Amino acid sequence: MGQRHILALFNNFENAEAAIYELRAADIKGFNFDDLTLKSPIEHHEVEDILGQRSAKVHWFTLVGALLGGLLGFFLISGAQANFYAQMKGGKPIVPLPPNFMLAYEMFILGGVCLSVLGFLICAGLPAKRSSLYSAKVSEDQIGVLVKADESAMAKIKGVLLNHEALEIQEEAGK
Amino acid sequence: MEKDIREDIAWAQINKDVLGSLEAPRPLYWVILLAAIAMIGVAVGCEIYQYQVGIGAANMNNPHAWGLYISTFIFWIGMSHSGTLLSAILHLMHADWRKPIYRFAEAMTTFSLMTAGLFVMIHLGRLWQFYYSLPYPDERGLWPNFQSPLLWDAMAIFTYLSSSIIFLYVGMIPDLAICRDSMHPGWRKKLYSLLSLGWEGTDRQWRNFRVTYLMIACFLIPLAVSVHSIVAADFAMSQQPGWHVTSFPPYFVAGALYSGCSGIITLFIILRYVFKFEEYMTLSILKKIVRLTFAIAMVWTYLNAVEFASVWYSHDQPSKDVLIQKASGTYAPFWWGMIFCGSIVPLTLAFKRAQTNIPVLFAVSLLVNLGMWLERWMIVAPTFSHGIYPWTWDHDQWPSFVQWGIVFGSFGWFVLLFMVFCKVFPSVSMYEVKEMVYHRSLHLKKSGAAGRGAH
Amino acid sequence: MSVNNLLENWSQFRHFHPVDDKPHDPYKWAMSIDLDACSGCNACSVACYAENNLPVVGKEKYAHGQAMHWMRIEHYWDEDIGTKEGSDFPDQGAQFLPMMCQQCEAAPCETVCPVGATNHTADGLNSQVYNRCIGSRYCSANCPYKVRYFNWYDYPSTENVWPETMTQQLNPDVTVRGKGVMEKCTFCVQRLNVAKNDARNEGRTVHDGEVQTACQQACPTSAISFGNLVDPASRVARQWAQQQVELDKDKQTKDAEPGGSNLRGYRILEELRPYPSVMYLERVRESAV
Repeated sequence: MGQRHILALFNNFENAEAAIYELRAADIKGFNFDDLTLKSPIEHHEVEDILGQRSAKVHWFTLVGALLGGLLGFFLISGAQANFYAQMKGGKPIVPLPPNFMLAYEMFILGGVCLSVLGFLICAGLPAKRSSLYSAKVSEDQIGVLVKADESAMAKIKGVLLNHEALEIQEEAGK
Repeated sequence: MEKDIREDIAWAQINKDVLGSLEAPRPLYWVILLAAIAMIGVAVGCEIYQYQVGIGAANMNNPHAWGLYISTFIFWIGMSHSGTLLSAILHLMHADWRKPIYRFAEAMTTFSLMTAGLFVMIHLGRLWQFYYSLPYPDERGLWPNFQSPLLWDAMAIFTYLSSSIIFLYVGMIPDLAICRDSMHPGWRKKLYSLLSLGWEGTDRQWRNFRVTYLMIACFLIPLAVSVHSIVAADFAMSQQPGWHVTSFPPYFVAGALYSGCSGIITLFIILRYVFKFEEYMTLSILKKIVRLTFAIAMVWTYLNAVEFASVWYSHDQPSKDVLIQKASGTYAPFWWGMIFCGSIVPLTLAFKRAQTNIPVLFAVSLLVNLGMWLERWMIVAPTFSHGIYPWTWDHDQWPSFVQWGIVFGSFGWFVLLFMVFCKVFPSVSMYEVKEMVYHRSLHLKKSGAAGRGAH
Repeated sequence: MSVNNLLENWSQFRHFHPVDDKPHDPYKWAMSIDLDACSGCNACSVACYAENNLPVVGKEKYAHGQAMHWMRIEHYWDEDIGTKEGSDFPDQGAQFLPMMCQQCEAAPCETVCPVGATNHTADGLNSQVYNRCIGSRYCSANCPYKVRYFNWYDYPSTENVWPETMTQQLNPDVTVRGKGVMEKCTFCVQRLNVAKNDARNEGRTVHDGEVQTACQQACPTSAISFGNLVDPASRVARQWAQQQVELDKDKQTKDAEPGGSNLRGYRILEELRPYPSVMYLERVRESAV
């Protein structure tokens, strides 16, 4: 049996939260709780209590980017100085440490910022094609709950969602 | 106390109000835009003339090797610092009153950096060879000189500019999605669809978004401090009297935050009036920025005094002579003007009645920035006029119309960029104002519930 | 590979010059100028204009501080007799100081150039690479002596800089600089190169007096001596030794003597630690006699 998506829109976060609680407790056959997505106009930290700790690994990208940036900066610059005819300037050593640390520091930050953004795009799955079930209301003031489940489970899920004052339920065009 | 924001604003109303600022502009907008373009025209004309004739057109000479270009460069770099202060530092401190105002402050950061970058170019004697200062591998194995503070500058500004554009953009993605969803089909919708990267506000997107935003904010703070410290190093690393001062980096950073904050006050007042953002840019928030500005003004004044005192008691005669020159020589009117605008004028901000009086604040913020521009000029010029070597003293040099024209035009350039931004992108962060409203109403509800429980 | 090169030769890249570096060998060009002999006649300056193709900028620009005099004669007046009240002949106390690039061993201008257009050479000169210069003027801002001159205009195409009849006078060994580059005294590097090449072809080093700078050559009182400081027999090395001025000191040992030294040799702004290569011999003052 094929899987389908439905999107329910709620007027406020409490209702959506209650619906998600019930869906988790209900243990409906053909529905995996991890296939539930919350779409909201603002961030709701609280949602992690219900959905469970889903991963956010961006900071690892940041760490790698910052370290690589710093090292690259230092060695690129020092290497360049050592090769540029090893030309003495102002009585300072050919490879002067304070300026190189300064520049490595800037590269450290640049690397960190750039890879953070890369990590964000990868982890958040962006840029992405918009899913077929999306309502512009979500960017305004309504909360969306997107559920993926087997056809057989749909009726039950819909029941739960409507129980919690879902304003509107969108379904994927029939296959 | 007055509220920073009303908790009962409908979210749809927030969208409507902010998106309203993107609608077709009024005629006055076009008038100002044209005026800005005319100002840029003056600068471009001056630059073309200078490019053809040589830097001599700017009227510099042997001791006065630098002029208004470098002063104004520092000024614009300074303006850029407040955006970071408001968005990154206050973000980490969970001061949620930053939310309605940080977007335009960040835009200000980006655009003033873009303006500052131009001055480095304009300053060069051989603009057409500027790429020599970029670290690119070439067949001759030539590299720029990494020891030069100017190169640190270039690197720091590049990092700062790219990081702040990224920060501005990442923070805007949810808002771009709102624009995408509510715009009629047209070029704008296409632009927003492209830029919003298919944002749908899913829990996964929000989660990663939050971490990313926090990470970049953490990087931006030390970056901003390092950028203006490096600009200070351009001077402090040399042995010239008046520049060779240990306290220069913190002094520059304080000055930067100071001029940036008063820049924010100016733009706050203008945006509030023009876009009718009274609901979001409330007087209570303005009061907080004003108090912040006052505090920074006092820090700046203190550091200024420290610099004078350390020069005065150092028995470094050339430095002392430069200080005396500043206070009594050719530059005295400007130097005292700087003291007046930078240290005396902000004292009005200490009065409660002035803190929410919009005409007074507008005037004060403009005067403060005038003072801060003078400060930068007073750092650069007097040292050249009265250096270590007496034979080259020259107190009579005066910047030519070419320099003044380019400085004048740079304000037009900034205004142009900022005005285009305000019409193309939401200048108030919609999703964060919603968060602010939401959390405040939650808080209200909780304390209300607790209050009922007690009864 | 650059990183390998960096790691293998690390210690070699970590010397401070001139204090813990090995001295220049076989050449270290240096100068000494006897201010007692200097009559302020400006012949050295004129010779420099001719030798190095310096643009003659005209009265107006000169007065405006845009002169290109690599070698300039500075006038100073004794404080006690320089005023009308002090003497019937106010010009009597005039003293002259020929000033040019001091070819510092640790030049403040070199570190700050963003493109590395100015460097310390192996024979102890402060070189200026015109083709590399982008005209940031940071070197001039950082030079304590202000002896770097910027091409504010495109002088080769400016009228009356080298009038028609004078163009044949330009020195073919020296480039003519266009607008937007920094320039300064080179110790007549074109002459030094010729002398060094000649000497190398003959398998010897340049001997004293074989090469003269234009200013030295033109000086009617022989106030300027120039030569190789490494060669102990050269006139300049003997003068430096006699005056007990050491190249790599920022405070001379002789000045630490109680009451100071009676020797006339000194270097200008030595305490800023640029380690200049020009020694001046103080004038024997009338007031001191």
